[in-house]
Amino acid sequence: MTDKHLSSQFDSELNSISARVMELGGLVESQIRQAIHALSHFSMEAAEQVEQLERRVNRMEVEIDHELSTVIARRQPTARDLRLLIAFSKAIANLERMGDEATRMARMCRSIIESGAARSLPSSDLRVAADLASGLLRKALDAFARLDTKAAVAILKEDDLIDREFDGFVRKLITYMMEDPRTISASLDLLFLAKAIERIGDHSKNVAELIIYLVEGKDVRHTTLEEIESALA
Amino acid sequence: MPTTLKTPEPLPSKIAVRDLNFYYGKFHALKNINLDIPEKKVTAFIGPSGCGKSTLLRTFNRMFELYPEQRAQGQILLDGENLLTSKEDVALIRAKVGMVFQKPTPFPMSIYDNIAFGVKLFESLNATDMDDRVEWALRKAALWNEVKDKLHQSGSGLSGGQQQRLCIARGIAIKPEVLLLDEPCSALDPISTAKIEELIAELKDDYTVVIVTHNMQQAARCSDFTAYMYLGDLVEFGRTEQMFFKPQRKETEDYITGRFG
Repeated sequence: MTDKHLSSQFDSELNSISARVMELGGLVESQIRQAIHALSHFSMEAAEQVEQLERRVNRMEVEIDHELSTVIARRQPTARDLRLLIAFSKAIANLERMGDEATRMARMCRSIIESGAARSLPSSDLRVAADLASGLLRKALDAFARLDTKAAVAILKEDDLIDREFDGFVRKLITYMMEDPRTISASLDLLFLAKAIERIGDHSKNVAELIIYLVEGKDVRHTTLEEIESALA
Repeated sequence: MPTTLKTPEPLPSKIAVRDLNFYYGKFHALKNINLDIPEKKVTAFIGPSGCGKSTLLRTFNRMFELYPEQRAQGQILLDGENLLTSKEDVALIRAKVGMVFQKPTPFPMSIYDNIAFGVKLFESLNATDMDDRVEWALRKAALWNEVKDKLHQSGSGLSGGQQQRLCIARGIAIKPEVLLLDEPCSALDPISTAKIEELIAELKDDYTVVIVTHNMQQAARCSDFTAYMYLGDLVEFGRTEQMFFKPQRKETEDYITGRFG
């Protein structure tokens, strides 16, 4: 949003919200990284940190929402300003949900650690998917800040990759559970973990779709990649 | 800036503007305008001061002919007939294309006569029919309930908002086909403005309405189509929701988001 409004006050309101949204994104990103650390090092401490960050994320979502309503009420934004504020509002909801998923991961880790059954299970596979998902969020935030629709499309493609990883992981878990029913309880925890990672990918994808909405004014939710690419051509 | 023919979609057009150029003496105020005003819809003209929006509006009923140094070239087709070269009496054209101005301009006569005056020029109605017509116009303009007990008091005793609705009633009493509104709410308070906007929404069932407004939110609220003009060019013309959500041109977006300067 480089061009300036006649009202510099409006500009500074938008810039301030924009900075806060990015800050929220950063918080959620570190939540996810901590969750991954908890997962890969079976660290109780990291799991607790995720839960602490959760409270800040929730508070921030509420605060940004309030700022958004205030700007809408005072400025009656139109066109790209309107699209920007709507995109912010939806993006922070997605970010907060990603935070919830990270918290869920942390809780699962805790339960796996407490049960002591973790080390025999394929949790390293999960780390790959988790890294992919957290990388996807970073890319989504970057693309949002730069209003980069090409990067947004790349993110949509990458989310498909995470979805495929997830399917493969589920098949693998089923094999473990069939081989040794004693692993069922821990496997289910891992399954929920994997689902949380998959959801984080989906939320990043939603953020990427918002970039296209913001820049092009096109709503590409619930469409195929081919349709999106031809809409942007 | 290219001003090519812009037809938002295949709707029947009431007024078709073709290659219209307009001059105030040597000043070139409208540059090759092409535009189709859809029938029975509200079309808003927006743009900064001096962009030509009022000038364009005033060509639609040849209001500019009052001033000898002003001239228009091109075509303004009302139902296919070129208004600029029409041999028809200009008073008859203005009966078809009514106009309401920025400042309320009630005639210095009673409320009743304000409306009956114009009707008498074009029709000879008996007393009962004239009463009916006055009541019809005042009801249509959402003014009847406020003035029905004082029809024979002076029109200038009304509030600004009421006076403006009286002018609209006067405009529609002669049953025009097109109603031109030149910043009809700029001198009114928000409640009177809301009433006029409500009225515009109802009028479009029967009339083609064209409104010039400085208030972009008003254009967003009450028009179906919006034309953005700048320095005598028609920059963009399209469906209002599209213009205020994702205009095609950056110039339009800059203006409606307040980045113009």
